[in-house]
Amino acid sequence: MINKSIALKVSNLHVEFDTYGGVIKAVRGVSFSIKKGLTTAIVGESGCGKSVTVQSIMGLIPKPPGKITRGEVYFEKQDILKNKKINGKDIRGSKIGMIFQDPMTSLNPTMKIGDQVAETIQTHLGLSYSNAFKKAIDLLDLVQIPDAKQRASQYPFELSGGMLQRSMIAMAVACRPSILIADEPTTALDVTIQSQILSMLSDMQKENDMAIILITHDLGVVAEIADEVLVMYGGEIVEKGDVNEIYNNSSHPYTLGLKEAMPTNIKGEKKTLKPIEGSPPDLFRPPIGCSYFDRCPVAMNVCEKNRPETYEISKDHHTNCWAHHKYATNSFK
Amino acid sequence: MLKYTIKRIIQGIVTVWFIATVTFIAMHSVPGDPLTGERGMSEEIRQNLEQKYGLDKPILEQYIIYMGNMIKGDFGISFTQQNRSVNDIIREHFPVSATLGILSIVFAALGGVLWGALTAIYRNRLPDVVVMFLVIFGISVPSFVIAAMSQLILVNINTSFGFSILPVAGWGTISHMLVPSLVLGLGTMAFLTRLMRSSMLEVVNADYIRTAYSKGLPAQRIFLKHQLRNAILPVITVIGPAIASITTGGFVVELVFAIPGLGRFFVQAVQQLDYTVIMGTTVFYGAFLVFMVIIVDLIYGLVDPRVRLE
Ligand SMILES: Nc1ncnc2c1ncn2[C@@H]1O[C@H](COP(=O)(O)OP(=O)(O)OP(=O)(O)O)[C@@H](O)[C@H]1O
Ligand SMILES: [Mg+2]
Repeated sequence: MINKSIALKVSNLHVEFDTYGGVIKAVRGVSFSIKKGLTTAIVGESGCGKSVTVQSIMGLIPKPPGKITRGEVYFEKQDILKNKKINGKDIRGSKIGMIFQDPMTSLNPTMKIGDQVAETIQTHLGLSYSNAFKKAIDLLDLVQIPDAKQRASQYPFELSGGMLQRSMIAMAVACRPSILIADEPTTALDVTIQSQILSMLSDMQKENDMAIILITHDLGVVAEIADEVLVMYGGEIVEKGDVNEIYNNSSHPYTLGLKEAMPTNIKGEKKTLKPIEGSPPDLFRPPIGCSYFDRCPVAMNVCEKNRPETYEISKDHHTNCWAHHKYATNSFK
Repeated sequence: MLKYTIKRIIQGIVTVWFIATVTFIAMHSVPGDPLTGERGMSEEIRQNLEQKYGLDKPILEQYIIYMGNMIKGDFGISFTQQNRSVNDIIREHFPVSATLGILSIVFAALGGVLWGALTAIYRNRLPDVVVMFLVIFGISVPSFVIAAMSQLILVNINTSFGFSILPVAGWGTISHMLVPSLVLGLGTMAFLTRLMRSSMLEVVNADYIRTAYSKGLPAQRIFLKHQLRNAILPVITVIGPAIASITTGGFVVELVFAIPGLGRFFVQAVQQLDYTVIMGTTVFYGAFLVFMVIIVDLIYGLVDPRVRLE
């Protein structure tokens, strides 16, 4: 496996939301690290806490109702959750950039595209407005927006979804961040634009040795561009590791279930899709044992009341499943 | 944009014509006429006067003559005030009403935006609770009550200081204008505060605000350029109707504070069935409001790029 230095390390992150219905324990003890120059994909079904995890890193959890109850996020040797000052202007937008799922609603409707890119540059690089605007045009050009100069003076409603997402990327990479977080960047776009945007992100990554965190529901995309994968379920990471390991040597029943439930884009491959029966755990009262217990085809008695330990499948591959215990009665393969 | 403006102006002219016609019909369907109630008028004098003012002609002809004069900008001579043309009355007294109205609307808009943004930021905390309570007060208490109350308070303040800090009534200097325009704008301000608050609460949760935070922008810039600018849009759309309600509210406030505005003439004219003054002031106010609404719409186009192209 590629040995790269660590860009960011999340350790034992817990996030809760205090709502009228009760406290939602959205993220429960998530730990992982991401490496420079590599793409880490986060996969898992809707509501499993992917967005909340990355938004915690950026300090974007709305407080209230959100609250980070435990955990650290180490970036450049500092815990950025503790130090409020760093996690403002000094990191957001300059060292960590972020792009969101829906480009139509993620841009300010009453502000010119160019201005929206320029304000990031102005804020972090201290350029004058006119210089920042010129640089914004260059950036829009870089993300392959045709007629960047004219487009810079237009408003979001005058651009297509693909162009808007490109503008978002221009904003996010304007200050050459060392980490780019992309939360389902292509879900709202059509397939051709999707692959153009993903390959553009890969190119930028190579140039800047940028670490990318990519949240996606598309396992085809994961297979194509991710180096490492985090599989999340019910607010926890159930399996993580090198992308090939995760695909070819899936070591958690949920990962297997995901693979069987999702269509692949791989040519020629035909398969019958098999949905995972049941529903994700109630995050108001998360299970004390394994979160996947209810739906797991190979659940054992131990799984109900005991949180699974982490097992090392190989150096770059870990999973939280009792089936890997040496006395396990069931094996899921 | 130009095409849109022209279209709006034509619509406005039709509206004003409609207002004039309806007023004309309503006015003539009320029993009596301007000469009723004049004491000791012989039949002969009455006939002479009717002839002089054209009241003896068939109603349709009167209408055509009146409309013809109006297009030329001549609203005629007042029936009840000797030798005073309606144009003179408007020219003399409208500036007073307009000053009062503009001050009120500026006050209401600024206050509404400010208080609305503030209460949204302090949502469910003390400043929000206090202001929103006052807002309910401002919306539900009619302006003549607030006008009278504020006069009472002014009198008490002035007597306790031993000299006049702010005048209780009258017109002329800025200090005369302050309290009446505050009172007149209060209801509208309360209404705009509520609107701004809910609009702001919606905007602060918008995706593009999260984007703004993710770019690491300073809080002050996010507030001004991203939140305020977008939250203000719904407020601008109701400024037109707000001007209308302030104009009509002005009639009462002018009366309470003894302000020589146009409102008083309007109310008097209706009581005395002074045909020309009723028509003149109504049409003038109608045209003024229509004009203001067009202006507000054009301003909205400047603030919201999405409606500019239409
Ligand atoms: N602002 C919030 N208030 C209350 N609950 C929230 C809030 N944001 C997220 N949650 C809850 O946290 C949990 C995780 O949400 P999250 O958005 O991280 O899911 P996700 O994995 O990104 O799903 P998707 O694939 O649909 O984007 C959900 O149960 C959600 O209801
Ligand atoms: Mg999400």
